[in-house]
Amino acid sequence: MFDETAMIPTRRTLFMGAAALAAARVLTPDRAYAAKAMSATADWSLATADVEGDVAPRALRLVHGRAPAGLSGSLYRNGPAKFRRPGGSSQHWFDGDGLIRRWRVQDGQASLAARFADTPKRRQETEVGAMLMPGFGTTGDPRARIGSADDASPANTSVHKVGGKLWALWEAGSPLAMDPETLATEDFVTLRPDLKNMPFLAHPRIEPDGRIWNLGVNGRQAMVWRLAADGALEDAQVIALPRASYIHDFSATARHLVIVLQPWVHVRNAMPMSAGFDWTPEAGTQVLVIDKADLTRRRIYELPPFGFFHAGDAWEEADGTIRLDLCAHKDMDFAARGAHEVLNGVPLGYDPAELAMVVLEAGGRGRLERTGVVGEFPRGDPRRAGLARRFSLHTTGERADRPLASAVGVTDWSSGRTRSFDFGPDHVTDEMVYVPRPGGTHEADAWLVGPTINLKAGVSELHVLDLMHVEDGPVATWRADVALPAAFHGNWA
Amino acid sequence: MIRSFAVAAVLALASPAFAQADSRLTLTFETGAETGAVLVALYDTEAAYEGGQPARVAQVDVAAGQREAVFDLPAGAYGMKAFHDVNGNGKMDVNPFGMPTEPFAFSNNAVGNMGPAKWDRARFEVSGATAQTIRIR
Repeated sequence: MFDETAMIPTRRTLFMGAAALAAARVLTPDRAYAAKAMSATADWSLATADVEGDVAPRALRLVHGRAPAGLSGSLYRNGPAKFRRPGGSSQHWFDGDGLIRRWRVQDGQASLAARFADTPKRRQETEVGAMLMPGFGTTGDPRARIGSADDASPANTSVHKVGGKLWALWEAGSPLAMDPETLATEDFVTLRPDLKNMPFLAHPRIEPDGRIWNLGVNGRQAMVWRLAADGALEDAQVIALPRASYIHDFSATARHLVIVLQPWVHVRNAMPMSAGFDWTPEAGTQVLVIDKADLTRRRIYELPPFGFFHAGDAWEEADGTIRLDLCAHKDMDFAARGAHEVLNGVPLGYDPAELAMVVLEAGGRGRLERTGVVGEFPRGDPRRAGLARRFSLHTTGERADRPLASAVGVTDWSSGRTRSFDFGPDHVTDEMVYVPRPGGTHEADAWLVGPTINLKAGVSELHVLDLMHVEDGPVATWRADVALPAAFHGNWA
Repeated sequence: MIRSFAVAAVLALASPAFAQADSRLTLTFETGAETGAVLVALYDTEAAYEGGQPARVAQVDVAAGQREAVFDLPAGAYGMKAFHDVNGNGKMDVNPFGMPTEPFAFSNNAVGNMGPAKWDRARFEVSGATAQTIRIR
């Protein structure tokens, strides 16, 4: 009934990307920090608290202002919300289980629902009662069962609506499809059978017509993904990178991909993943610009060293100069160490990120123009993605002793002016998104929509601010009856 | 010449291949696709499992409706590795970064920890009529 053959299942080392994660290097917890963690009861600890289960749909209570006429839609957001289990806990803010939240505004009313991404990771860890999977800053447990990078995915970094589904995104694995109405998890997305288990970053760049560009990174090579607006794969090509930088985000103009290669470079296979990177400022920061129409056409710019997680959409001026807003870190200590401490409620002492403009001249010279404005989580008008624009939305107010934001700002690049609203020390501010006013076409005709955690009331709130009057504070605020921890990224749909 | 032949014969008789096949192992594969074949390798020691030659191999012709591999074996400890050659090209396909794109499985339905399942997870005893159902999808 079967043939015996000489065919032997050959087996390469299974996971090169992830395993890069493989050689075990235990990050020894620093006892001094552990002691500080024990004594610190940060007032912002709700920002990294555990949520024990899904949050059933519920109405929010309007506590300030009124819903702006014409505002209708859902803000889908994703971020880690389960870090601790009796048998072992995540060691880093980036490694908790993704909780997908839907903040909905409709007919003047607001509601909230949230469900955890039902991942293989979460199932295994629930069964064992311990966090098992290795991650960005967490050393894995030997009991973990990991057959592919998706098995270790917390699906916790962002969420996009693509082709009628939600895609919960991480950066080292596949998108995870979910139902936008029930928030029920479906399955990992394979864009083509021969590309199963390829990584897909959590920061795709979406052209105004909906076309999706993204990267999947593995050391000194990257997959360039191009998808139609409905999620159908249009093209996938592997490109070589000049260095194995940590790449969380990239940018794009209408014609070019803009890949910032910071000097935080993968130099060893180690666990957790972040322990494999070294900060090498002497190498400077490079920017790789690639022609979208021909990925072999490329140019490299040399800039002074800076670290970063997040960039805005880039654009090109008439003379070919490329500009992009970016939140520059002095180094990547926050990634390597700070985010361990955030999880434990320890004040940091690291400099917050600064809003800056990367300028790449057509002649080949590049520079970083700093603003002096503290900022993270930059966002812009999705209708102008890749095109010239004036405004960047961003969080602001982060401080060395309190790493999470309390304020939101709008920077106008034409005037160089930043206007902001500070919710005050009793709030932790999430990323806010740009929502165009229906019928409006001017870039300023828009709202900022996003949540804060009201630490004093112990609950989450949803705010709407008018972009032109952001300094006046929310035009509407709704309050939930639950507190959800800080999330990373999301989108209005 | 005769002497060396005799030595070889003695060695051969002592080898497991000539041990009494007193047990039968039936592996049933639950596949996610109906095409191609499942290629099966069975190992009888940890050293072989972790990098040596299989004691037995089999090909289950999924496209022709087969789902089982049957081995008549001496009782003892074994470990099994298999992959589903869904497109029938005779190899386990990988994506551009070297990760498998075709389903694979190990005995006990064991899963590794960022690599193939080790012997301690895949090892099982064959004694008399022994059966395992392996999910390979």
